[in-house]
Parts: sequence; structure tokens; C-alpha cells
Amino acid sequence: MKRPPFLVALPWILPWAIGFVAFLAVPIAMSLWYSFNDYSLLEPAAFVGLENYKELAGDPLFWRVTRNTLFYGLASSGLSVVMSLLIAALLETRVRGTSLVRAIVFIPVLVPAVSGAVSWLWLYNPRFGLINSALSKLGVDGPDWLGSTAWAMPSFIVMGLWVIGSSVLVYSAALRDVPRTLYESASIDGVGRLGRFRHVTLPMVSPAILFNGVMSLIWSLQLFAPPHLMTRGGPEETTYTYSMYVYNNAFIYGRMGYASALAWLQILVTLALTLIVLAVGRRFVYYRAA
Amino acid sequence: MTDPRHPSRLSSITRRAAVGAIAGGAALAAFWPRAPRSRRTIPSGRVVLRYWEKWTGPEGEAIQRVVDRYNESQDRAWVQRVPVADPMSKAMVAVGGGDPPDVLGLFSYNVAQFAEARAAMSLDEFASRPGAIDPSIYKPAVARMLSHQGRPWAGVNTCYTLALYCNRAILAGIGADPARLPRTIGELDALAERLNERDGAGKLSRVGFLPNLPSWWPYFWPIMFGGSLYDAARDRATVASDECIRAYEWIGRCAARISPAAAGAFANSYARSFHSPEDPFISGHAAMIVQGPWLANFIRHYNPSLDYAAVPVPLSPDVPDPDQPRGMLEADVLMIPRGCPHPEESFAFLSFMQSQEVQEQLAGEHCKSSPMARVSEAFMRTHANRSVAVHDAITASPRVEVLPQTRAWKPYADLLIGAFDEVWSGGDAAAIMTRVQSRAQAILDRASDLRKRREGAPA
Repeated sequence: MKRPPFLVALPWILPWAIGFVAFLAVPIAMSLWYSFNDYSLLEPAAFVGLENYKELAGDPLFWRVTRNTLFYGLASSGLSVVMSLLIAALLETRVRGTSLVRAIVFIPVLVPAVSGAVSWLWLYNPRFGLINSALSKLGVDGPDWLGSTAWAMPSFIVMGLWVIGSSVLVYSAALRDVPRTLYESASIDGVGRLGRFRHVTLPMVSPAILFNGVMSLIWSLQLFAPPHLMTRGGPEETTYTYSMYVYNNAFIYGRMGYASALAWLQILVTLALTLIVLAVGRRFVYYRAA
Repeated sequence: MTDPRHPSRLSSITRRAAVGAIAGGAALAAFWPRAPRSRRTIPSGRVVLRYWEKWTGPEGEAIQRVVDRYNESQDRAWVQRVPVADPMSKAMVAVGGGDPPDVLGLFSYNVAQFAEARAAMSLDEFASRPGAIDPSIYKPAVARMLSHQGRPWAGVNTCYTLALYCNRAILAGIGADPARLPRTIGELDALAERLNERDGAGKLSRVGFLPNLPSWWPYFWPIMFGGSLYDAARDRATVASDECIRAYEWIGRCAARISPAAAGAFANSYARSFHSPEDPFISGHAAMIVQGPWLANFIRHYNPSLDYAAVPVPLSPDVPDPDQPRGMLEADVLMIPRGCPHPEESFAFLSFMQSQEVQEQLAGEHCKSSPMARVSEAFMRTHANRSVAVHDAITASPRVEVLPQTRAWKPYADLLIGAFDEVWSGGDAAAIMTRVQSRAQAILDRASDLRKRREGAPA
């Protein structure tokens, strides 16, 4: 007797399904439940209804970390899209050594976040750091990058660019997929190099731009390890991010219920922003017919 | 006999397959789960206690020697020290997950959190057991830290106070008397000013003293101005008191004397260098520094010829009685988490750790003063920290302050980090502290409401 396809597939998907339920679905459901509770991990959860969500509105630190994170997310993802596209375009030119440069651009993606943060900490060191040493050779007195309220968050935005290797790869693939005939036609019509980039390249890689933009936004809204390790949110809470606040509430202050409410709001805001970007992007993205 | 035209299954194995099988076997053997070396040496019949402790390096080796001593001293239990970074967070997860270790090494400010949640066992539950602990064995302030709401919750595992460490050679170099170290904030300011040094480009190359070097205790200075951060009786934040505001105004003046940006950059450049040969004090880039007694441990490792001395941190002149040193006391503590597998054996180990001899061994190796009321003459005489008497006097002083004993202390303390930065940048201390007090009080009130609701009282 022939077994139904579902039963045939079951043993193959079961390991993943068990992992998904145990390590993702159940914790997600529990975090939703805890967001309606006073829960410190040290004692049983006590139901408080919507109080954790109500408390958010009057919590000045919540608004502070939200502003910081949105600023970082928008600036970092925007800059990342532009820089990675430019680097990918440069790497597609016919010059020697592009493979090596491509590898160098990608290597930071493989560096663990903690190692990267420690390296950047020394690069940004105001007295002994490579950046200020280089600036001093040019006669420029470099600032205290991570200790200044004006420079700390921009320093993290610049640091975020060091892991654009994955985006560059996506753009490289998209750029190679642009039909040469379109460039030839544009050239015949007298379109210059900049014009070809604007009227041919950009529309043709626009799906990749949208994809990278959305992914970059989602990742940057979760910024945690670099400010946690490098500045602990300072100076004056200028680099205190949303994910750090979630972590501190959950594991330092013993307020897992409040942290769960914060986390759920983070997911909903990220989802809303993603949908807005997708809706706006749809007007500008050009999808070729298959 | 095998027919060469029809080779057996064995002889058909290729060289590549054989190498692959050997490599696979080697990898399997290498990664096969096995008990750690320490577990394999456990004598049979012993109850194994998991003991989480934060120390690593020389401090970790010191506590291991004490653990080894305990393991040799009896044949009932075997303590396995597990070095754990950020033990509080991990302990919370372990307790929440129902799998706590037997003994937890935490900080004194964690006691309130565990006690109020009843996540630890109170030591009065073991009052009838052999080795029951009498709180009078500790110095009074230490005993205060180990209890919460009138009950004992923890044993001590060394303690520390802060002192002003001075590089006597640098002081002598500018003509200051290395035997007459600053006693008041005014004297400290005046001496610090003379010790600042700039290089040819006008940049700071050495500082006399900076209150943000290191920036680990932004809540410390109010104590030296006679203030307090918390009124436990009324559960009120008191950081906007006149004394506290004066302390933070002084911090702002310290920054302004050099320039907030230059002084901040100098301090930040050493933020990752403490406890290393590049430590600003050990390397001679800071002539005076407020530090714990462990500094002596790192001095003897990295620069044993450094000529240093420590004194109690200078006081504001309006704080009376300079003969009774004022300061801040914190301790490392041992707790038995509720639900641990072996509470009786855990208590026996904890009790062993509370003996004068054991604490002197550990404190001596950590270069700290003893938390115990009785201190042996040999401990003081042979101590590696030449200023241990200063730390001992502060620890024993009736005017020593301990951190607020409330479970809301951490979020409160974090507010003070931001406030310190703001004052450092030139912000108005009074306005900042008034704002911080209001936010801190909201945190305290919320914690109190939640506790009352759990206990069934009206919020």
C-alpha cells in the first residue's frame, strides 16, 4: 500500500520541525505571554495585563533608545546601500585585482562581531588609535570618536560599513545580470557613462537594491554587540540602542516581562517599517519579465 | 584463497576511502563528548557541587587553591569551580530554567534581588546545622551587606574598598612630599593640578588625577561629600541632596580645569588598559588614581618596583571627623540558590569559606583586606598590598557606606552613568541630579509596587 506523501516526508522534516517548535515557536509564544506578566526569571510570572505596554509610553529611556536606533537604522542602511552598490560597480570594471579586492571586502563578514568590535575599539582610541594617528600625520587633531556625543553614533554608522561584503556580492550578481545589449543601445543613442548607470544600471538592479535595503534595515534595527562592548550605551546614552535596552531589562534588571513587551514592539515596528519600504519600493523597482 | 580476478570487498577499498575513514575516526575521537579532566579525578562516593565563580587568571587560581583545600579537608563533597563571566545574568537564567548550580559567586548588590525573589536560601535555614554562621564574625558593614530585611542571605568571599593610590616617585619629582598625601578634596585638586603634564604638542601626557579614570563607580563621589544615594527606611532616592549635587559639581569642575573633551579623551584612551602593563597608574600616566586593593596585585605582576602608597579617598572639607575614614564597601558573596541539588553540602562549603583563615588566604592572594572582624597579625604583616591597613581601616570604619540594598539598584546605577557624562560635559549638576532622582524614584516605586502586589498587599 502506498503511504500518503505527508507520511513519507515526515521523517525528513521532523528534525527541523522539532527544532523549530522547541527553539523558536514555543519561545516566541512564551515571550508574548511574558509580555503581559511581571517576570524576573527568579520568581514565577505574575499576570499584570497591559501594564508593561502602558509603562513604555512613560519611560524616557524607551524613547531615547528608540530615537537612537531609528537614527542608526536609517542612516546605516541608507549608507550601506549606496556604498555597497558603488563598490560593486567599481569591482565590475575591467581592471586587475578585482577578485582580490572582492575577497578583502567580504572577509570582515566572516570576522566574529566581538573580535570586530574590539579591533574597532582600538582603531577609534583617541590617543593610540590608528585613525587619529593617521589624522595627526595630516595635521588634524582627531576627536574622541566614541567618547564624544557628536561622534559616537556616526562612528558606529561608519563601522557598520565594514560588513557590507554580503551586499556587495548581491549587487555584483545583479550587475552581471544586466544585459549588455541595453548598454550598447544606450551608447548608440549617445548616453554617457553616468547616464547609462542612472538609466540602465539602476533600474535593472533595483530589485537587489530593495532587497539589500530591507535586509540592512532589519539588521541595523537590531544593533547590539558593538555598542554593548564598546561604549555600554554612552556617552550620555547617545549609543544606547533598543536591543541593549531589551537585554538589560531581561538579564541585568530582572524585568523579563518588560523586556518581552519591548521585544514585541521591536518586531512590530520592524515589520511596519519593512512593509512601508516594500510598498514605497514597489513604485521604483523594475522587475523584468521572466 | 582469493581469486585475483574477483577481489574481495576488503581489497576493493581505495586508498582515498581508507584515508577518509581514518580521518573520520580521528575526528570522531577528537570530538567525542567526554568528562572534563577535573571530573575524572573526583574520588568515588563524593557529592559533586557545581560552584559558579567570576574570577579568572591569578584571582581564579587563588580561589581554586581554596577549593582544592576544601576538597582535601573532607570526604563528603567535591566542589567543582566553574568560571562564569557575568554570573548574575547566567544565574538568573539557570534559576529561571530550574537548573541552578549549588553555590553562586555573586556581588553584594545582587543580594537584595535574590533575597526579595526568594531565589536563594536564607542562611538562617541552616541555623541548626554544624558550621552555622554567626554574623558577628564579620566586620559590621560586611555583615550588613550579607543580610536583607533582617535575614542573612549570603556568605562573604572577600570584599573591597576604594582608596587613593599615589605614585610617590612622581610626587617627589615635582617637589611634593610623598609622605603627606592629600586628605581633602581641596588638597587633591591642588596636587593634581601640579602633576598634570603636557607633551610638545600641548596634549596631556600625564594627569595628576581624574575622577573618571576609571569610570567604574560614577556613584562613588557623593559618599565622599557626605551624601548618600538612598534612604532605605523610606525607600527614597536621595541623589539630589545638597551633598550629592556638590559632589557632581566638583566632578564638573575637575573636567573643566583641563577641558572636558581633553580629559575625557585621555581617560577613554585607557578604558581597555586597566589591569595590564599599560594601566595608566602602573605605566606612570596617572600620578594618582582611585582604585580597589587589587591594583597592588597587578602592580606586583607588571611593575614591582613602582613606589606607591594609598590613603583613604580625600573628603570634602565639610565632612567631619577625618580620623574615621569614609568610603564605599562592596563584597563578593556566596549564595545558595533555591532549588539547588545539594543544599546541605553547599552550606558546608559556604561555612568553610567563612573561616578567618580561609578568607585571609583568599584576601591575601587577591591583595584585599579581610572582611572578618578578627584579623591576624601575620595577615597584615605579610600582606602583598603595602597599603592593606588603609583598606582594612575603611572596611572597619563605622562611616563606611554600602551600596543601596534594593533590587532596583542596577537600573538606578545606570542612570548615574549617563548623569556623570552629562555633568562631565558641562551640564548643570543640580538640574541633572533632580531629573535623575525623579527617574530613580519612579524605578524604586515601580519595584515596590510590584513587590507589594506579589506579596498580596495593596500597591
